[in-house]
Amino acid sequence: MYFLIEEYLPIFYIFVVSVSLALIILGASFFLGNHKPDSQKVSAYECGFNPYEDSRNKFEIRFYILAILFIIFDLEAIFIFPWSIVLGQITSFGFWTMFDFLFELLVGFIYIWKIGALEWQ
Amino acid sequence: MDFSLLFQNNFKMFLPEFFLATSILVLTLHGSLISTSKILGFPLLLKSFNKMSILILGFTFILVNNNSASFLIVYSSSFIFDLLTLNVKQFLLFSAILCLFISEHSLKLGQINQFEYFILILCSILGLLFLTSSFDLLSLYLSIEMQSLCFYVLAAAKKDSSFSTEAGLKYFIIGSFSSGLLLLGISFLYGCTGTTHFDNFSLLFSEIDSSHSFLTSLVQKALLCIFIAFFFKIAAAPFHMWSPDVYEGSPISSTIIFAILPKIVLFSTFLRLFQTSFAYFGETLLFFSIGSALCSVIIGSFVALKQKKLKRLLAYSSISHVGYLLLAFSCNSLEGTQSLFFYLIIYMLTSFTIWSVILSLNTSTNLDKSKTLIDLSSLSTVNPLLAFTALVAFFSLAGVPPLAGFFAKLEIFVNCLGSSLFFAGFVAILSSVISSFYYIRLIKTIYFEKVIDNGFKFSVSRSCSLILCFSMFFLVFLFFNPSLLFLQTHKMALCLF
Repeated sequence: MYFLIEEYLPIFYIFVVSVSLALIILGASFFLGNHKPDSQKVSAYECGFNPYEDSRNKFEIRFYILAILFIIFDLEAIFIFPWSIVLGQITSFGFWTMFDFLFELLVGFIYIWKIGALEWQ
Repeated sequence: MDFSLLFQNNFKMFLPEFFLATSILVLTLHGSLISTSKILGFPLLLKSFNKMSILILGFTFILVNNNSASFLIVYSSSFIFDLLTLNVKQFLLFSAILCLFISEHSLKLGQINQFEYFILILCSILGLLFLTSSFDLLSLYLSIEMQSLCFYVLAAAKKDSSFSTEAGLKYFIIGSFSSGLLLLGISFLYGCTGTTHFDNFSLLFSEIDSSHSFLTSLVQKALLCIFIAFFFKIAAAPFHMWSPDVYEGSPISSTIIFAILPKIVLFSTFLRLFQTSFAYFGETLLFFSIGSALCSVIIGSFVALKQKKLKRLLAYSSISHVGYLLLAFSCNSLEGTQSLFFYLIIYMLTSFTIWSVILSLNTSTNLDKSKTLIDLSSLSTVNPLLAFTALVAFFSLAGVPPLAGFFAKLEIFVNCLGSSLFFAGFVAILSSVISSFYYIRLIKTIYFEKVIDNGFKFSVSRSCSLILCFSMFFLVFLFFNPSLLFLQTHKMALCLF
């Protein structure tokens, strides 16, 4: 039991520090800050939209495309990080497997570049 | 695993898939570079891509035939190669080539000009090839996802039609729901047994006895989840509601692909899963599949009576045919499995004929209108040969004697009785009688309903006419000499027992 507590002590420290830091920052801005609320300030923040509207209206499709592309290239990073950590243990097979994946991703990248999915206009 | 060993045997078996995957990459590069080229004037690559896809599938077909080993389990036993996978891959690639062949004309009319359409078709076929060989629940799930993701996009291929978009979205939601169920079942199984290999399951369950009742009930629930996902994918009855809408909404060239290609692969893979791994749970499996089979034949025959649109009618007819296939599935015997494959192959042949007839109703003026039964009227005076082909195909679907469909249905009913499924066989025969009503009504529309001014003539494209000839020949020929197909399907079924 003593082991457990010792192992988890750093996590407890992080918990205490982060909670107190958050409280300090929020509290400081609440007590020391300048309060002049207007409708833009108090409304929920959403990038590029009016926050209070019917949610079933038309929507710019390019946001979706950007999000999808972000997911794909984000996944690439997720694959590459563990690969780079264990590169010493996975022999040349693991090395070239990742290069195969990167090559296929490159083909996809050329495709989206060429058909103009990266351009905002 | 040793790096060099991987390329010695394992890789050799995957040569067709490797070729197909590489070709998809090359086609993607080719299409994205050429179709955006200003110097070439932004060419439309529809025709050349169609031809190239057919060529690639043809080469893949040759590579599949040129298989070096008759039985092998490769890639840390996640894929299997035997006679069943070989034959299923042959049928799959052959029918994919035919699908591309007959849909060329309608693609031109429908103005689906994106080259991605063909890349998606090839990707889905790659997924189906992997699915045929998969021998591990993980590879099974991944390849199902690969083919269905491509299918969702194919359903929504006609971007300016709201029906097509709706079909794609519907297919996507239902498909991802069923994939979720499949994953749930797989994770239950993994939780119970700690393995995902097909082989290991049978080894584990051979030692099971009455002291493991909790485990048994959990595995039964997992099998229920997997079965429901399977029923969703093949559109069997309580889980069929997506298929008429998707068939109706998506462009006809995509509909042909959904309707014909995935069934044989899904059936062969799930047969392998249930026969090799879960033979111990035979009664549970029987219970699920007979229930769904009876639902499918009854709903398929009764709801189709009310349909006015051709594609919806065919969707319901395909539901009832899936019901017969599930009936053969639940026979749980060698003969039953054989009759399943026999029925499936003949059904694919018949579908080719019927879809080619429907494709021939398309002209550039009436393309956006969905075809109703009235559109078939006076076909017999405008194009008597086409009308006769349609007659043969519909009679074969209904199971009228001098045609191959009769044998296929007879086989299933006989094997049903052989496996003592008397009630199920009785219900299936009754609903087969009911379903023959709407096939005969179609024939009545073709031959006896005269519309004075139909407004357009039925011109059959060259590729369609070739397919019509070919499939009609086999529909008649297989009645007089079914022994070749019998033997082949028997060999396929023997791989599972």
